[in-house]
Amino acid sequence: MADMQNSNVEIMLKDIGMVYKTNDGHDVTALTGVSLDIQKGEFISLLGPSGCGKTTLLRIIADLLQPTSGEISIAGESPRDARLSKKYGIVFQSPVLYDWRTVKKNIMLPLEIMHIPKAEREDRAMKMLDIVGLTEFANHYPNQLSGGMQQRVGIARALAIQPQILLMDEPFSALDEFTKEKLHEDLLRIWAKTNKTIIFVTHNIQEAVFLSSRICVLSPHPGRLSAVIDVDLPRPRTMDIKDTPEFTAYVAKVRNSCEGI
Amino acid sequence: MSEKALKRKKIDFNSVSSVLYPVLFGILIFVLWECGVLNTVLKTDTNILPAPTRIAGIMSENSSKISENLSATMTVIIWGLIAGSFLGYMAAVFATRFPNFGKGALTVLSVFNAIPIVALAPVFNNWTKDVSSEASVRSTVAKILVVTVVCAASMSINAYRGLTELKPFSLDLMKSYAADNMTVFKKLRFHNSIPYIFTALKVSVPSSVITALVSEYFAEYRMGIGRQIRDNISIAQYSAGWAYIAVACLIGILMYIILIIFEGIFTKRHRK
Amino acid sequence: MSVLKRLSKSKYFNTVLWIVILIIVWEIGATVVAATKRSPENILPHLSGIIESVVSKDTINGSQTAVQMVLENAKATISRALVGFGIGTALGFVLALFMSRFKTVEKIAFPYLMIIQMIPILGMAPLIFAITQDISKSRIIIAAILTFYPVATNTLAGFKAVEKEKHELMISYAASKFQLYTKTMIPSCIPYFFTGLKISAPMAITASILVDTLQGGIGLGCLLSQALKGAMSRYVFWQIVFLSAFIGIFSFLLMGIIEYILCPYKRKGNKQEE
Repeated sequence: MADMQNSNVEIMLKDIGMVYKTNDGHDVTALTGVSLDIQKGEFISLLGPSGCGKTTLLRIIADLLQPTSGEISIAGESPRDARLSKKYGIVFQSPVLYDWRTVKKNIMLPLEIMHIPKAEREDRAMKMLDIVGLTEFANHYPNQLSGGMQQRVGIARALAIQPQILLMDEPFSALDEFTKEKLHEDLLRIWAKTNKTIIFVTHNIQEAVFLSSRICVLSPHPGRLSAVIDVDLPRPRTMDIKDTPEFTAYVAKVRNSCEGI
Repeated sequence: MSEKALKRKKIDFNSVSSVLYPVLFGILIFVLWECGVLNTVLKTDTNILPAPTRIAGIMSENSSKISENLSATMTVIIWGLIAGSFLGYMAAVFATRFPNFGKGALTVLSVFNAIPIVALAPVFNNWTKDVSSEASVRSTVAKILVVTVVCAASMSINAYRGLTELKPFSLDLMKSYAADNMTVFKKLRFHNSIPYIFTALKVSVPSSVITALVSEYFAEYRMGIGRQIRDNISIAQYSAGWAYIAVACLIGILMYIILIIFEGIFTKRHRK
Repeated sequence: MSVLKRLSKSKYFNTVLWIVILIIVWEIGATVVAATKRSPENILPHLSGIIESVVSKDTINGSQTAVQMVLENAKATISRALVGFGIGTALGFVLALFMSRFKTVEKIAFPYLMIIQMIPILGMAPLIFAITQDISKSRIIIAAILTFYPVATNTLAGFKAVEKEKHELMISYAASKFQLYTKTMIPSCIPYFFTGLKISAPMAITASILVDTLQGGIGLGCLLSQALKGAMSRYVFWQIVFLSAFIGIFSFLLMGIIEYILCPYKRKGNKQEE
């Protein structure tokens, strides 16, 4: 890329547009004119109400959708090349675990596909289990685990391929509040430890403020980037931070920028 | 051409091809059969495997005899289907009312489903010896009973699911109204079970046809489409055998189509 | 009292209770029949009579006891059903695989799979016998057709039930089509595949017995026809009825057992709490 002056840019989105065609021939603009540079090691949230195109944007970055206009580069590569060279790991809203595989084998699945030798597969899977704190459940089947534990396995599986980028599509939205808070802290700990670039889709303002270093607010009809807010709360963040006036101020600021929509 | 029109054309092609491909395949088989290529492939003469037009000719020539046998078979299918489905549904209601005791009955009934018809048919022949002095009446009753048993099993299992697998909290809502069992059944369980009734019928309609045909093989009184298939073939009247097979297939297909239409009418509210 | 109450809630107890009720009803019927009919064993023999005939050492055709003869014929029937069942299972699975992989194959084959479901294949048994001129072949063909379509439709449903996210996950791993099938599609359709097998196993047995009746020789169906004609003791007939019911039920249960062994993940353990 010629215009990549800053070598710290991990993901560059330039004027991304996405137009769907419905079955009766109508055009629906899901995204228009989204430009954004994401730095290496950033924790960035894509925040907005349903229909704002935040999930669409994540899928475009993951090369699961092709935009109808605009340019993307991921670590200097096209999204397709980035996908083929396993630059990112993805976590969905549901854990999408394989019922017939034990927890450990679920984490080893992408490694099998990459033809990584068995000994290393085992080794890496156990390391990932240690990171998400599920070592003792390695040989359990997914249906023996709680929802929060299942989602942790999903995160471990995404990390197992050692990607630079972690894409997360509302990963905690189906969990109860207590589990969610615990996983928030865990995720921040993992992020600090592994130094990944995380792109996190959510519709929850508190969640976005607590986790992110930067929040991108998207607005619907048509989906577009309406505000980018830096969150300069100190790190490491713990639950207590939610009671501080600074946190509350950020939440209010983000909410205001959403209300303008 | 605009992009939009192009897109529309693509959609049209998709839906057209899903009709066109199977129809073309069907026509291909028909032509191969009619021209005798199928006979060469299967190494049979046109006597054993006559061309479709010849089968159709025989059907129209023997239409009165066919319709006589058809009505005998249909009587068995319809009455067996009605009696079996009714009994199966009642068993499901019973199992819903008395969950522990009744569930055991359903387990036993579902196991009945795996009993070969071939074993059931002669038993019912034995049991209906005293029903009437007329062989034709006894045989009809025996055949209806076999169909009844087969249909009851699939209805009871599906209806039980329909009566008990309710939307979350809907039963709690009924309880909060202090509704009695009858009201819960009328307002909630019955309506919930309608799609399941059709699931059961989709299994039991085809199996009632086959059960009627097979039990005719064992019946004392020689009558019905199934019996005609067998008897005609055993005296080497293959064309007539094929004509009756064609009728049997038509019964199966038509009954299934009628069922689908009824399902469309009765489950309209259940779909989005 | 509390023991009784607990028992009444147990699933197995209630199933056994119903079996006992059925036996009692049968025995009452048999007693009535024995008092009123001239040859009660034709209509409803006492279960003890049937059991007696099973353990009896008397030979009925010069060399074999009744039960030896029935079992020998059953062996023939089952082994032929098994061949057809195996062929039908393999074909059904492969067709489902092709239908899921190639849209055109699905478009052509799906309507015909629906039609096969509607038409009485078993009724065509005599004709298939006439075409093949060979009783073993026709038995295998019919058992195969009857096995084929439940396996094909259920397996296809299994392929279609794989969540969109699992496809996307495999895309994100840049998995090949082969890996998509071996790692995701085929393992996730296994429970559906077994649903198909549970439907078709008893059907294959029924088909095999029915085809037996078309010609003399060996097989449960032939023996059944002979017994019905009064060629041998009526108890042979009852042995066949009970044995074929048992085989049908057992074939169904066997598929469930195999599934249970192959799918350890379906056994529910205790769910962990947060």
